[in-house]
Amino acid sequence: MAESARAQLLARLRAQETETEPEEIAHALAALGHAQAARAPHPDVHTAFLANILANQGTVELARDRGAAVQAIGRYLYQRFRTHKLVAGNDPRLAAMPWRDGGVLPRFGVAEAGDAAALSYAKLGVAETGAIVTFTGRANPGRNNLLPEDHLVLVNREDVVSTLEEAWVRIRQDTQAGSWPRGIQFIAGPSSTADVEAQLVLGAHGPRRWHVILVGDTPTSAVDAARESLATAPF
Amino acid sequence: MKLASDNFLQEASAALNAPEKVARRNLLGQFLPLARDSAASKYGDFDALRAHMKRVRRHTSEHLSHYLQQFEEAAVQHGNQVHFVADAEQLNSKVLSICQAHSARRVAKGKSMVTEETGLNELLLKAGLEVLETDLGEYIIQQAGETPSHIVGPAFHKSLAEIRQLFLDKHKLGERGLETASEVVEEARGILREQFLAADVGIIGANALVAEHGTSMLVTNEGNGDLCANLPPVLIVCTTFERLLPRAEDAMALQRLLVRSATGQPQTCYTSFYSGPRREDDPDGPLETHIILLDNKRSDILASDYREILDCIRCGACLNHCPIYIGVGGHPYGWVYPGPMGSVLTPLLTSLEQAHALPNACTSCGRCAEVCPANIPLPDLLRDLRQDESVQRIKPARWRHGLRLHAWLLRHPALYQRFTGWAMRLLGWLGKRRGAFRRMPFASGWTGQRDFPAPEGGGTFMGQYAARRRRGVRRG
Repeated sequence: MAESARAQLLARLRAQETETEPEEIAHALAALGHAQAARAPHPDVHTAFLANILANQGTVELARDRGAAVQAIGRYLYQRFRTHKLVAGNDPRLAAMPWRDGGVLPRFGVAEAGDAAALSYAKLGVAETGAIVTFTGRANPGRNNLLPEDHLVLVNREDVVSTLEEAWVRIRQDTQAGSWPRGIQFIAGPSSTADVEAQLVLGAHGPRRWHVILVGDTPTSAVDAARESLATAPF
Repeated sequence: MKLASDNFLQEASAALNAPEKVARRNLLGQFLPLARDSAASKYGDFDALRAHMKRVRRHTSEHLSHYLQQFEEAAVQHGNQVHFVADAEQLNSKVLSICQAHSARRVAKGKSMVTEETGLNELLLKAGLEVLETDLGEYIIQQAGETPSHIVGPAFHKSLAEIRQLFLDKHKLGERGLETASEVVEEARGILREQFLAADVGIIGANALVAEHGTSMLVTNEGNGDLCANLPPVLIVCTTFERLLPRAEDAMALQRLLVRSATGQPQTCYTSFYSGPRREDDPDGPLETHIILLDNKRSDILASDYREILDCIRCGACLNHCPIYIGVGGHPYGWVYPGPMGSVLTPLLTSLEQAHALPNACTSCGRCAEVCPANIPLPDLLRDLRQDESVQRIKPARWRHGLRLHAWLLRHPALYQRFTGWAMRLLGWLGKRRGAFRRMPFASGWTGQRDFPAPEGGGTFMGQYAARRRRGVRRG
C-alpha cells in the first residue's frame, strides 16, 4: 500500500515536470540566491543581538570571561531560587569552568522534571532575531532546553553571527564530520502563549525565563545601547 | 474532520447575532493586522522577501519529484521511516498501526492541521488510545469538544471566562480563582507536563521539510511541539509534500514570512530542525521516528489551475484581514481551514458540491491578497471557484438565472441604462418621504442591519454624465 502510494505520487509529479538534470536544478537553485535579513536595531552586531534578546522577553548579562560567567550564574541562581544547583549537558567547555569559585553545583546530564534551572553553552547567537542555537546530544540534551523553569545560556562573543543565513554556514561547518545532530534548535525567548484571549503569557510549557550571558570582551555600555535602540526604534 | 460547510449561511447568521463574540472578533481583526504590519515594516522590504519566496516555491514545485526523493533519501539515512499515504484513511491507519506496534496507550500531539484534516484523533480514541492535544488552544477546544476556529489560535473564539469555567468543570482541583490568563496557562502547564512525561508516542506536524538535510522544521512559541518531539520514545511527523523546500536558508526565509504574518514576531521562541531518532551516544530523544507524507488530493491541485494555494504557509494573515472571517468567525466555514485560504482549500480537498458556499463568502475586497506572505491571488482563486460552481451547475438555479440575466443586461448598455434609470426613479419616488427604506424585497439581509438609502434624484451616473456632456461641461 505505502509503496504504491509513493510510486503513484512520484509518477503524478513527474507527469507535471519537464525532465531536468540534477546539475541543472542545482544551478537554477543557486541562481535564486538567498533572502535579505531583517533590518538590525543597531549597527553593532553584539548590541543588535542583545537588543533582540530583550525584545524577545529574554534577559541579558555580560561576562568578560568564563570565570565571570560562573559568578554571574551563581548570583542568578541564588537570587531566583536560593540555590546553587544547576543541570548542564556534558559539554567539555562547561566541564572546564571554575564552578567552585562561584559556589555553583552543576549536575552534568539530562534535565529531569523537577530541575529549576538548566544551562546550555550555545553553538551560536543570531543577532538578526536574538536567537541562540543548540544541537541536541550529550553536550546539550534536548530536554535541558525545555523542562526547567529557567533556561540559562552562555554564548561566546565570537560565535554571534549577524543573519540566519550566516548561522547556517556555521551549522554546516560544525556538522561536516558527518555527525548530523538529531535536533538543531533556534531558541528566541522563554516559552510563551497567546492562546487565551490573545494575551501574551510567558512560561507556557517550557522555561518561564530565559537568561543569556554573552561571554567575552563586550563594553558594558552595550546593554544600555541595546535598551536604547529598542526604545528609540522608529516604528 | 466532518465537513459541515453546507450550513455556512445559517451558521454565519447565527454568529452575527452573538454580539459579545462579534466584539471580540472585531478586536482581533484590529489587533492582529496591526501586529503584522508593524513586524513587516520593521523587517524592511517585506515585498521583496515575498517575491523571493515565490521564486523559490516555483522552482521547488517545478522539480518536486527531485526534491521529494532528495528529502526521502536524507531522512532515511538519518534513521527515519518514511511513509507515503494517498488519503486521510491511509494516514490514520498508518499512525494507528505504529501506535499498536508499540502497544502505546498515550499519545501527545503538537498542533497539526494535517491530522485535523484527516480526523486522526477520532480514530485513535475509538481504538482505545488516550489522545491529548498539547498546544494550549488545541487543548482548550479538545476539552470543550469543539473544533478550531482559527489555524493559529484555535481557541480565539473563547473568552477567558469561558475557559475558566471549562477548566473548573474538567480539572477536579478544588477551589481556586483562575481569574487571569496567567493562572489559566499555569494550570494547563501543570496538567500537560505530566502527560508529556507519560506519553508513549508524540505526534507533530512540520512547517517545512528541508530537502538537502532530510529535516523537518517545527515553529512554535509554547514549546509543546518540541516536548512531543523530544520526550516520548516514538515520534511521528504528519505532513504533506508541498512543505518541501530545497535548502535550510529557504526554510529560514519562510520562517521570516510566517512568523511576522502570524504573530508579528521576528522569530518564534522555538524553531527546531529534527532529523530523526536519537544518535548512538545521545542521552535523550525518541528511539524511533516516522515521517508520514500525505497526498489527499494535493497532487490533483498541483496539476490544476489552483496550484498556487499549495504555496500557503498557514500563517492565518488572510483570516485576520478578511471582513467575512472577522464578521462570522471560523466555525461557520464548517471544516479545518476557515477564511480566504480555507474557502479555496476546502472545496478542493473535499468537494465543491459540498463546500460551494465558501467561495461565495468573499467581498472581493482584496485585503487577503495584499497581506498573503506567499503572494497567493486568493480573490482570483475564489472567483474561479465561483465560476466552476456556476459552470458545473452547483450554484442554485435561482442564482444562476439571476446572474445570467444580469450578464445579459450588462452586455446591452442602452437597455441597462434605461432599466436602472427606471428603477432609480421608482425607488426615489417610493422613498421620497423617509429618504431611506427600512425593508426591501430580496434584500432583508441588508436591511436587517441598516436602512437602504433612497436615491436622491438627478438620475443615474451615466444619465448625469450624458446630460453634462450635452451641456458641454467636461469637468466638474
